[in-house]
Amino acid sequence: MAGLELGSGKKLKMSAYLNTRVSLYSGRLLRDQDIDALVRLPQAEMAETLSAYGLPQLAAGFEPAAAHEQDLRSLEQRIIAQILDETQVLIRPLAGDERSFLMYWTSRFEISNVKTLLRGKMTGERPAALLARLTPMGPFGRIDNQELAHAEDVGELLQRLENGAYAGIVRLARRAFEDSRDPFNLDAALDRGYYEGLIQRARPLEKAEGAPLRNLMAGLIDRINLVWLLRYRFNYGLPPAQVYYLLLGSRYSLSGTLLRELASLDSLEAVLDALPPTWQTRLAGAADVPSVFIRMEQLTAELAARTLQSSAPGMTRAFAYLLLRERDLRAVRAVLRGRHLGLSEVAIRFALQRTPERVM
Amino acid sequence: MFRAEPLIKVQLLMLASEAQDAALELARFGAFNPVSCSVDQLAESPALRYREAWLEADSRLSKLLEQCGDTGAVRFPEAAEAPTLADLQELNDWLKTVWVACLENHEHTTRITEARSRLDLLEGTLARLERLNVDLAHLLRADSLLAVHIGSLPAGAVARVSEALSMTGHLVSRFDQVGEQAFAVIAGPRVRQDEVRGLLAQAGWRELEVPDELRTHPQTARSWLETERAGLDQDFGVECRVIDGLREQFGPRLHEARLRIALARPLAEAALAGVCGKGGLVALAGWVPARQMNELREMLAARFHGRYWLDLHQPAPGEASEVPSLVRYPGWLKPFIPLVKSYGVPRYGEFDPALPFAFTYLLLFGAMFGDIGHGGIILLLSLALLPRFGRMAWVGVAAGAVSMLFGLLYGSIFGFEDIIEAVWLSPLHDPIRVLGLAVGFGVGFICFTLLLNVRNKWAAGHVSEALFDSGGLAGLAFYLGAVGGLASLTGLVDLAQPAWALAVLGLAVVALYKWIEARAGLGERILVTTIETLETAINLFSNTLSFMRVAAFSLNHVALALAVFTLAAGLGTAGHWITLVLGNVVIIVLEGAIVAIQALRLMYYEGFSRFFSGDGVEFVPLRLSSERSRV
Repeated sequence: MAGLELGSGKKLKMSAYLNTRVSLYSGRLLRDQDIDALVRLPQAEMAETLSAYGLPQLAAGFEPAAAHEQDLRSLEQRIIAQILDETQVLIRPLAGDERSFLMYWTSRFEISNVKTLLRGKMTGERPAALLARLTPMGPFGRIDNQELAHAEDVGELLQRLENGAYAGIVRLARRAFEDSRDPFNLDAALDRGYYEGLIQRARPLEKAEGAPLRNLMAGLIDRINLVWLLRYRFNYGLPPAQVYYLLLGSRYSLSGTLLRELASLDSLEAVLDALPPTWQTRLAGAADVPSVFIRMEQLTAELAARTLQSSAPGMTRAFAYLLLRERDLRAVRAVLRGRHLGLSEVAIRFALQRTPERVM
Repeated sequence: MFRAEPLIKVQLLMLASEAQDAALELARFGAFNPVSCSVDQLAESPALRYREAWLEADSRLSKLLEQCGDTGAVRFPEAAEAPTLADLQELNDWLKTVWVACLENHEHTTRITEARSRLDLLEGTLARLERLNVDLAHLLRADSLLAVHIGSLPAGAVARVSEALSMTGHLVSRFDQVGEQAFAVIAGPRVRQDEVRGLLAQAGWRELEVPDELRTHPQTARSWLETERAGLDQDFGVECRVIDGLREQFGPRLHEARLRIALARPLAEAALAGVCGKGGLVALAGWVPARQMNELREMLAARFHGRYWLDLHQPAPGEASEVPSLVRYPGWLKPFIPLVKSYGVPRYGEFDPALPFAFTYLLLFGAMFGDIGHGGIILLLSLALLPRFGRMAWVGVAAGAVSMLFGLLYGSIFGFEDIIEAVWLSPLHDPIRVLGLAVGFGVGFICFTLLLNVRNKWAAGHVSEALFDSGGLAGLAFYLGAVGGLASLTGLVDLAQPAWALAVLGLAVVALYKWIEARAGLGERILVTTIETLETAINLFSNTLSFMRVAAFSLNHVALALAVFTLAAGLGTAGHWITLVLGNVVIIVLEGAIVAIQALRLMYYEGFSRFFSGDGVEFVPLRLSSERSRV
């Protein structure tokens, strides 16, 4: 009994710490004005401004330094390093399923490394060049990049991966790839395997943390299912049965029967018209897959912003924060890349397609 | 012994064509820790290609040795030179050729193994299909309107595949499962086959090729299976002979490749730290013990006859975190070093805790496990295990000896307290005194660690931390004040007023320092200052109370022995002695292990965490080695 009280006391302390930490972090989320200011900012002030936005990893790329000390990581790598740094702080007070869930959330960067390794092996890229393109995962890393980069071919690489942390995901991907040798099959199986794993880890937490986490997961998974359905069906022209198979098995708002019906339809408009009325309202005016994605992402961001300001459990708020932070960083990346390519301010703003988050 | 040896940073400029030989000589020298070089005019990294080629060659060699077996110990001839980049690339190409030859064999062997498993599966499948009573020849007719597939897929995917296939009018019927593989029959309209092909590939469907031989009478099918198996056995024998042939053909040259790759390793390793250069010049930078500088100069002069330039640089005070630590310990202290290093490596210039660790660890162990008999057994066991555990066993020998010494002081032998007279005190008869001594020792130990922290911070140039932080003089003032105040409350001393004033002053200075150091918004600043100041107060006292476990375990030792005696007293002669022996074994194994861990815990958390950053960089010199570990 005493142990139980001690355990729940510790949990309470940790939850208070996490909630305080998330609240403090949420002050770092960027408003549209902040992003807009970056578009116009003189290059010399970039490092200081990014530091002020709480983005030291990105600021490091703009600091003047001697050639041999310059930060040679790509923008993408620095963005991921920033997210990993913040995740590491957030998971500090967590344990068990909650910790495992947020740690797994970062694994998609490593899955992306796995895809880079596989593509590199398919094109016979040099191990050193391949290694330079991988994102360092720091304490979140679960695979040995050095060893994998030196595999002789895709077959050996897949075999090595099957003996590692992502064995379950890779085993299915290997089976899907082995006979067809189609990189699409490999990528689709890896993505699907990763998200199925995420859902599996979210399930016990949804019971414990309640509706806020379930709603966030629903926003995420429904968006993935709808966008994948539209992309596979109308961009890649896959048959309905295959499209349905490639979607995530777990259901939130979009039921299996509805997804089967949607996959059988012949045009994007028909799919959007067949959606439930609430979805039609949300997606009114969307005419192509990217605009559906942006609209759905916007809805998830609004939901995450509401969750962040609510009294939801600490882990759910931390997850909501990470969703929003990543969205912010994608916008910062668009701005920085646009500036690097010398695009006009108008073109960069158009590429952002970001509207302010409303808290309903 | 108390701090790292003084090092000098050297920058060796020389001809690029001799870089690999220079690295090799430095590895033979054995006291050169490579680091990134920083010559602005030499902005290129000429050794990176070398390292890349070396990594590829080393990786291939490892795989080949795994396949063909070890080639024996590598000896380094005195005059051996390191391979050039061109040599290394040539070697790498040759290794690739050998690997392809081996890979072919490896793949054949794998295919045979897979074919054998497939035959096993076919055999099982045949038995199951027989039970289904299905005429396979009829079912699998190519001219039927119904297309039928027999095969396997991951068991977890069956439900999902069935759902998806129902959209194309197909049915899935599972008829068997082996491990995670489900065997199923899929049937549907032949005209819709194009729609399911992609789906089946995606789901990892493996068509079970039912050969004509299986579409017949079961007996005929079985004899076909046996013929196939015999054929595979024959193929496997051929592959084994091929492996032997490869080993004979490539073995000697593979051994030579190992030597050349080992000779190339120093430059590849130095390249990881950073070798810079431009045109025909390269610079290798690294740390060398100051007392070995002359030796280094002589070695370079003898090998390169003046074709080099040596630039020396003393470490600056702010550079301490980047300078590696090289501490030389006397032989008797070496067994304790792994225990210190498992916590961390002392930073350059930082106090090395190995010596106080060894003394205090043994003292705590002895105090918690004082028994002449048990200590003697630990001592003898450790001596017996010397050949197996090497130097580490000496920790056990020393712990056993100190345990015996405390046993003498406590008057305890195998738990018996009435055989010899206690020279000092018996914990069971004077527990309050033992508790007081333990806490007193804790106070002294914590003061000692705080003073060490002040010294370390001061030496590292962090004067404000040394004076005002919770682990600095301000923290020490608070701690001493609070201890004095509490001692006054119990009537031990009469210093209440000045002691509490000192404690309040110390804590106020710590809080002010935290406030200034927390560079954040107001909310975060208040949070950080409040929590960290409170933590200072709570930690120091909980750490002091932690030392009560020393007394608790010394009492526990006697109490456990009493429990064993009580149990034994209730049994007959045989039972009595069996219980005594088993009880003592339990005490030595269980309590001995717990006490060893507790003493280590006290050292790490109550001691090291206070003054020892442990974030130093170990001095890792370039060495000549044929081990296949990755650098």
